[in-house]
Amino acid sequence: MTSLEELRKINARCIHCRACQYAYSGEPDREGETEEYTGMLQGCPAGLYFGWEGYYNSGKQWMARAFLEGDLEPSKELLEVVEACTTCGMCESQCENYIDTVAVTEALRAAIIEAGVEPLDKHKIFGVRVHDESLRNPYNEPREERTKWFSGETDNQEVKVAYFVGCTAAYRQQQIAEHTASILKKIGVDFTVLSDEVCCGSPILRTGQREIFKEVMNENLEMFKEFDLLLFSCAGCYKTFRNDYPAMSGGPLPFKVRHVVEFVYDLINEGKLKIDTEYAKKVTWHDPCHSIRHVGLAIEKEILNNSDNWLIDSRKAEKAKEAHFEIPRVVLKAIPGLKFHEMYRIKGDSFCCGAGGGVKAQFSDMALSTSKERLKEAASTGAEVLMTSCPFCVTNFNDGIKALKKEEEATGKDLSAVGSKLKVVELIELLDQLI
Amino acid sequence: MEYNKVTDEVVDKLKAICGEQYVTTSEPLRYSYMARGIMGLEAVLPEVIVRPANAEEVSKILVLANENLCPVTPAAGGLSGGFALPAIEPGGIYMDMTRMDTLQVDVDNRVMVVEPGLKSGDAWRIFKTKYPDWAPPIPDGAPPAATVLGDAIERGFSLVTGVYGPQADMIMGLEVVLPTGEIFRTGSWALDGAKPYYRWGPGPNPDGLFLGSQGAMGIITKAAIKMVPHPHYKTVVAYGGKNWEDIIEPAWLISKHEMGIAEHTVMVQGGNWPLVMTRWPKTNVPLDYEFYKKIGLSEYWMNYEIWAWTKEEQEYVMKGIDDIYKSYEAEKKTECPQWKLHPKQIASRLKKPNKIAIPYALWEAGFLFITWYTPWKESTAMMEEYCAKMEEYGFPPTMWVASIDHARQAIVMPILCFDSTEQGIYERIREFNLDTTRSFLKKGWLNYRPDPFVHAPETFSRTPEYYKMLVKFKKVLDPNMILHPGRLAMPWENVTGLPYPGSGGN
Repeated sequence: MTSLEELRKINARCIHCRACQYAYSGEPDREGETEEYTGMLQGCPAGLYFGWEGYYNSGKQWMARAFLEGDLEPSKELLEVVEACTTCGMCESQCENYIDTVAVTEALRAAIIEAGVEPLDKHKIFGVRVHDESLRNPYNEPREERTKWFSGETDNQEVKVAYFVGCTAAYRQQQIAEHTASILKKIGVDFTVLSDEVCCGSPILRTGQREIFKEVMNENLEMFKEFDLLLFSCAGCYKTFRNDYPAMSGGPLPFKVRHVVEFVYDLINEGKLKIDTEYAKKVTWHDPCHSIRHVGLAIEKEILNNSDNWLIDSRKAEKAKEAHFEIPRVVLKAIPGLKFHEMYRIKGDSFCCGAGGGVKAQFSDMALSTSKERLKEAASTGAEVLMTSCPFCVTNFNDGIKALKKEEEATGKDLSAVGSKLKVVELIELLDQLI
Repeated sequence: MEYNKVTDEVVDKLKAICGEQYVTTSEPLRYSYMARGIMGLEAVLPEVIVRPANAEEVSKILVLANENLCPVTPAAGGLSGGFALPAIEPGGIYMDMTRMDTLQVDVDNRVMVVEPGLKSGDAWRIFKTKYPDWAPPIPDGAPPAATVLGDAIERGFSLVTGVYGPQADMIMGLEVVLPTGEIFRTGSWALDGAKPYYRWGPGPNPDGLFLGSQGAMGIITKAAIKMVPHPHYKTVVAYGGKNWEDIIEPAWLISKHEMGIAEHTVMVQGGNWPLVMTRWPKTNVPLDYEFYKKIGLSEYWMNYEIWAWTKEEQEYVMKGIDDIYKSYEAEKKTECPQWKLHPKQIASRLKKPNKIAIPYALWEAGFLFITWYTPWKESTAMMEEYCAKMEEYGFPPTMWVASIDHARQAIVMPILCFDSTEQGIYERIREFNLDTTRSFLKKGWLNYRPDPFVHAPETFSRTPEYYKMLVKFKKVLDPNMILHPGRLAMPWENVTGLPYPGSGGN
């Protein structure tokens, strides 16, 4: 189900209980290490930043209902409220009525735009660029330079594994692409990258521009259909392929998909890979919403969708979701010398970095404020390294740290307790150094 | 009753009172406050939302509303989740009290002072970290965003209601902003500098005018509420039964002495097997009792949440309960098997706050709690009649019941599971509500939080002298009738076509 109309009955399950505003809404007795981080905690980045009910999922569900009923007209004012959400899915994790909250929000965005409202300024620019066949990326970079970073053989149709690079690693954080390619070589994966690869469409889908999304989705599906396996270094691309392509195309994927961290996990789990090099640092882990929470939730819902007895199968579904949440933790714990300290809000209850859903581009103040909130939580663990595996999380955290450092310079205060001294590390880069 | 629209000038004055960032006329944001669910199905669009920071701002808003004859609806979190008090008629100024969310705790006098926006989840966290030997009497079964004060002022249900009575009985003092803007405190708190230690001083005490008024008589900006000791030997025991009587009668036998065993059964609640079934999608769960029987569910059951200071005390209470059940079984020649609860089931039941009440929307797409008080022993008859009527009207007979104050009263709550996208469903619910309400009122049973369109007019039609007295108070406190019009069926003509009470009504 993808359109708001198709989601009508799911949206109608909302009884405005507002449990979705809290991380750990079902765990009031959860023990934390500090007074600040214990029990239930507010967990909605937009709600915390703006304060009004409409910015929380609980309010957005009722705005969606009013829109469906024809009471609330499409408008820029409405779009501005609905777009100010990172679509992190924290709310969806909390919902006892299994409401697909992010799907409703994204469908509402699309419905407003399809009713004739222009996408918000920055989002529109993404759309225009991705729609442009000479670009097909949101960064306004030439299409022919997409694989410039890659020294191997592109477009090798003889191999069965492709690495879907994504726009950010291809144009902005090429070190991630290089490290990914390097890891794959080290672990003996015969793979290729495609020079015609186009944007996965994630930022376009999130911001409600579905027609353009469908164009790039169909191009990618056609282009990669002969491969057996697609590997990803970008959490957003991975989630989009894994969860959104089947929903939006109406059919199953013609290939398997796996994030590189998951692929490494598989090898560790099967005893095929052992990390010997030490990494003697105190590390905390930030779960990227796309590759951890959204995929976990999808695993849970896939089991329930095939169940005729939710009362029995809900436990199995939850276990499968929780097993997915463990994946990066298993990888981190396989690194010798690494001292792992979890933050308080983790896994399904993780607090977003603040960059997702089109927020970083359009609502940069909210993105920065959210980043700082998460950095503070990371710093509270005493960690020196904030590890994650998502290019957007890395960028937004680094922006947050830069802002804290600036504040330190301006005020002379030591802000290390709230994260100014944290080092953000992409797990894929680290794995390449260690393997 | 006619009211004025909220003008731009009024909005500007609201901004001057609360600050520009705390006032909005945004249409999308106004729609986000329109909640139809759990405790009420009616809501209209407010014209402006304002988020005051303190009682002084609340007072100024009310003075402004009087000057301009604009209706005002105050709301924070409500009792069992949801905004329990959406604007109903007409829209006017909607006062979102969530910014006022402080908690002060006085361990020596065993009282906590809460503002309207303090949510249960936050209260629980603060007590857990700072006052682990005490518990805030938060609403049981309500989600974490339900507010402590919303529950208390609606005379709702707390986690210790089985012993302490409804939440309103825990009130030690109120700070109220009257509809005309005056701020005053009740009980000993009225005396400058005094603690809220004596509810009835300096007397006579007007709390009852505000508790249960659903915001129609004044806006409560602070409440001093008893906090309770929090012993950590806690468990839950549950017993099944073949009918309602098998769960109601033993609970009365256990509770009636009040002291001894009953001191420790802080929560006594039960229901029937559809209470489990309707937590899941109708299309994805077995609909036959046989399945539930196989997984160990009785057709009816009552569970007892026990709080004790020592393991011995806990075992003494458990044994006492078991002895009473055994003698009841022998006397009535029935079977009330004790359930073997898994530790996870016990832990789940002991969680406060929790999300137990939320998932009934999964059955189809929406649900409504309708809450009634009856004398404890009459609850059997009420639940039998209610379940039959639910089935007659096409709803599953999902029923929950709990003891108030040692089984003096029962709170009987059918959970009406329905598909809110179905054409005509709200009319069907209204008919069901009317049918049952008329029957129950004849038997002397009362809805504890009367909805404005069915319960309140039907009840007050049968209590004309009481209603007239309420109207007199309302007119004294709220001469322009600006505060939450429609609640408590005031003004009468705004919510019902029934004859005015005492003028030919039945």
